[in-house]
Amino acid sequence: MIVSNTTSAERGIRSSALTRSTEPATDTVRAARKGRARTSPLGLVMLAPALALLVAFFFAPVVLTTIFSFTNMTSATGISGGAYVITPNLLRDLEWQGMAPEAAQSLSGETISVDEAALERAAAAGVDPDFLEEIEDELLGDEFDDARSFERELKTLPSRPRRVRDLKLAAEPFSQSILNTRFATRDEAATAIASIAPDLSAEDRNTVLSAAYTGWVWTTDNFERLATTPETARLITNTALYVGFTLSLFNVGLGLFLAIAIFYMPKTSGTIFSVLWLLPRITPVVLYTVMWKWFTWDDGFLPVVAENLGLPAFNYMKGSVPTAWATIVSLNGFIGASFGMILFSGALRAIPQQQLWASEVDGASRWQQVRRIILPQLRWPILFVTCYQSLSLLSSYEQIWLTTNGGPGNTTNVWALEAFRVALSNYTGNLQYGYGAAMALVLVVAGLALSIIFLRLFRFNELVEKPKIEF
Amino acid sequence: MTRNFSAWPVLLVLSLISLPLAIMYASVFVDSFTNTPPGAILPNEFTLAHWRFLVDPSIAGNIWVATLNTFIFALSMVVIVTTISAMGGYAVSRLNLPYRRFFLAGIMVMHAFPSVTLIIGVFLVLQFAGLYDTLAGVIMVKATLMLPFGIWIMKGFYDAVPWEIEMAGVQDGASRFTVWRRLILPQVKPGLIALGVFAFLDGWGEYLLPRILAPTSEFRVLSVYLQQISVTDSINYDFNLFKSVGLYYTLPVLIVFIVFQNRLMNIFGGGTKG
Amino acid sequence: MPIQLQDFTKRFDNTTVIERMNLEVHDGEMLALLGPSGCGKSTTLLAISGIHRVNGGQILFGEEDVSEQPSQKRNVGVVFQNYALYPHMTAYQNIAFPLEVRGMGREQIDKEVRAIAALVHIEQYLERRPGQLSGGQQQRVALARALVRKPGVLLLDEPLANLDAKLRLEMRSEIRRIQQETGITAILVTHDQVEAMSMCDRIAIMNEGQIIQIDTPTEMYRNPKTQFVAGFLGNPPIAFVNGRASGEAIRLDADEVTLPLPTGARRPKDGEPIVVGIRPEIFGVNGGSPIGGRVSFVETQGRENLYDVALPSGAVLRSIQPVRHDISVGDQVTWGVNPDALMVFSQDGTRL
Repeated sequence: MIVSNTTSAERGIRSSALTRSTEPATDTVRAARKGRARTSPLGLVMLAPALALLVAFFFAPVVLTTIFSFTNMTSATGISGGAYVITPNLLRDLEWQGMAPEAAQSLSGETISVDEAALERAAAAGVDPDFLEEIEDELLGDEFDDARSFERELKTLPSRPRRVRDLKLAAEPFSQSILNTRFATRDEAATAIASIAPDLSAEDRNTVLSAAYTGWVWTTDNFERLATTPETARLITNTALYVGFTLSLFNVGLGLFLAIAIFYMPKTSGTIFSVLWLLPRITPVVLYTVMWKWFTWDDGFLPVVAENLGLPAFNYMKGSVPTAWATIVSLNGFIGASFGMILFSGALRAIPQQQLWASEVDGASRWQQVRRIILPQLRWPILFVTCYQSLSLLSSYEQIWLTTNGGPGNTTNVWALEAFRVALSNYTGNLQYGYGAAMALVLVVAGLALSIIFLRLFRFNELVEKPKIEF
Repeated sequence: MTRNFSAWPVLLVLSLISLPLAIMYASVFVDSFTNTPPGAILPNEFTLAHWRFLVDPSIAGNIWVATLNTFIFALSMVVIVTTISAMGGYAVSRLNLPYRRFFLAGIMVMHAFPSVTLIIGVFLVLQFAGLYDTLAGVIMVKATLMLPFGIWIMKGFYDAVPWEIEMAGVQDGASRFTVWRRLILPQVKPGLIALGVFAFLDGWGEYLLPRILAPTSEFRVLSVYLQQISVTDSINYDFNLFKSVGLYYTLPVLIVFIVFQNRLMNIFGGGTKG
Repeated sequence: MPIQLQDFTKRFDNTTVIERMNLEVHDGEMLALLGPSGCGKSTTLLAISGIHRVNGGQILFGEEDVSEQPSQKRNVGVVFQNYALYPHMTAYQNIAFPLEVRGMGREQIDKEVRAIAALVHIEQYLERRPGQLSGGQQQRVALARALVRKPGVLLLDEPLANLDAKLRLEMRSEIRRIQQETGITAILVTHDQVEAMSMCDRIAIMNEGQIIQIDTPTEMYRNPKTQFVAGFLGNPPIAFVNGRASGEAIRLDADEVTLPLPTGARRPKDGEPIVVGIRPEIFGVNGGSPIGGRVSFVETQGRENLYDVALPSGAVLRSIQPVRHDISVGDQVTWGVNPDALMVFSQDGTRL
């Protein structure tokens, strides 16, 4: 656009094309910085508590899950590092794995020496102080090859205990074996081994030391195990079936049916049904799962009814694979259906009434109305429920844990439940944190990937509006 | 509403599907006041015997202590979640923050994110922090897991308050904090109430976290109490006692739910739309 | 307090909304920022009030550069389009709020609130909440709240847009009265030319982030600097017809009509394409240069009628005249146009 003289003479008018091109670049940069919205210290303060908690109990767990998935940590290894302990069992194992029997023999030997440390141990063990004083005077610095010669020596002392048993007890603190002794560091353990079994080869010593470590070590074994065990395929299949069935039949299918049915209903009955279907969501999970037990167990409602009707009656929850699946899918689905119901109801109310009236005037049947007018407009809510609920189903295990607990056998076990059981709720009592963390990490990664895809899908950028007050 | 369609086939199907739910909930009410002979479906006598647990701690332990614990737990949830979400939601909705977009995306991901998968990590964090097996630990974890949801919900409510109110406030000479406390907070009261109720319900029903993160603690909530009477050997399994305790346990939830029903619908809908 | 914008520039992200705008508002005057939606007038208002930061240039209140001051320090009163009353407070509490945050004593607040309430005539509604007030009453409360702390400047953002036609008329004069009684410097942002012309001392007309012309309403109507200004002011609006310069005369395109060049206009080059603006009130007068056409539409306005006259080329002129019963749609008419009141613009829109 060309601006003629008359207009540019007027105050307040500039030829933008001209001034823009002559303006130095640095000026533009400074100007851009000048107008930028100011960071609000208040905002940082108000966000701080949320940030602190989220970092502690959200980010840190994610990081820890990642770290621990690369360890062999279990409740046996402990969390905060370990010690070095050589046990008779360990030696037996090593021998079995091919270590020379002489080496094992030398490690399990004992030494008896009378020194300050041993005297202190004895005093702590409650040995008669007079007796100890005599031992100190007579035998300090002596060493013995076996208990018998040490005891013989002890019997020569005046204040020795009368009973043989007490004498053996008093002798015990002086005898030392590296078996079952905790060494805090590898060096300490190595020194002890060197002193008791000087002939042990360096190679054998290292083998023993590594095996004797009770703490956790870095490893990728968890992922190798996950990749190779046939259980993995089964868990993935189960999880996919569980999520797929629950989602399609209940969270979306039933939710949609409920929303549409209630939409066409008079207000009062609609309210009754929507409240009834909301109850599972707010009922404490422990009560809810036991209600299902009452409903499906041996003497429960369904089997009793079935028995009276002459149908097969047994514990439907745990008695057979198909009924167990039906139970966990509907049990979770009954909770999830309300989510879809509420969301779809909201979307239905947003459809202009005129469209429905118009279709009725055009002679559409109810089915046609639902199919042609309502369903197309529910596309986004349906997609949203699918995305959102697939994420939460993927990780839900509380209900399955409290009902079938994966049974019968392992047929209804899902990934999240297995991760939880491996890491935190194990029959044998040995909780495998490392392996469980690896399993959880798989879920975390899958969840993150899905969430990011969903964010893209729902155009997150459009949801973020800049603050309008720039000061 | 459109009326020219006949409604009964749909009503029939709907009733059939709803029947299991209706039966289950009805049984909780009926069985806690009656006895049913073995093998029968319908009860044959009225009794209050199943409610003896209220006065007799020898049946299943002291219910009143468990109730008090659950109240403390649920109320702590309400206080922590509403306070922190009210502040955090305002900050991300209205204030200029560095990396605001990034943070919002994070909140949104966490909101949709299956947070229970983190329980192993949380367990380890609590072990490190020395909060394992403590009430404070469980409350903080539970509240934190709810925070992304709470902040997102509150952000939604703040977003709906006209900017002009905020602008008028600063024109009138009030600081942003005063604007928030005196002008904006009153506008989002429905959201706060709904979130508070939600936090209460969530805390009241929570089982997993107390059980896993505070297994031996003195602090026993009703869900754990209830679970403990249900895992006694299955031969003596007393469904009626369980249902009475269950009904007792659920009554506050029901009352809260009925009183706040409409507000909750708000949050269920509003919180998830985007 | 006089206000001055010097090279005021505003960008959102990388879009420049306003580039080096200059504007001066005199002490005690009421100035309208008039323009179509999206022209940057509200952005300008928000920058003056301290909601938006400036990317370049300065904003001066009197001698003081306030561009880096937040709203709280600028002491500007703003009335928003939707009034932005605090819904949970009564009218009284709304008006008292700015005084409270300044830490004024209770008695003093009460005195001030009642004084300002008397000025805007809402004494009897002070205990009501905004929801219980009509649009006009809310408007008055909003005015009272903006004025109670005696701001140096009053900014009004489309204050009448949410009112129905009757109230709009009433509030137009009320706002003007209050502004004049307080003697406050005021800026009115509006897209409605009638509001701007009837309420303000001067109008600054804006388009695409630039001020096109600043003048008194009368002068701007009579003497628009560009085709845009001429087209924006006037109801019913001015009609534009394409034409060509031909010596001392103008030939309208495709029509056998020749009009004399108005006196005082710069002479265009021979054959230069130009645009002729004809306001409805100068067409259909006695005498003048005749233009013939067919009446294509008659709009009854009560006291007057508006006649659309289609020229043979298809261009439409408008004529506003006292109601005549001798003319109906389809009639062929030849009416005179007052040649001295014609406006002639070059192709790029500047007035000749």
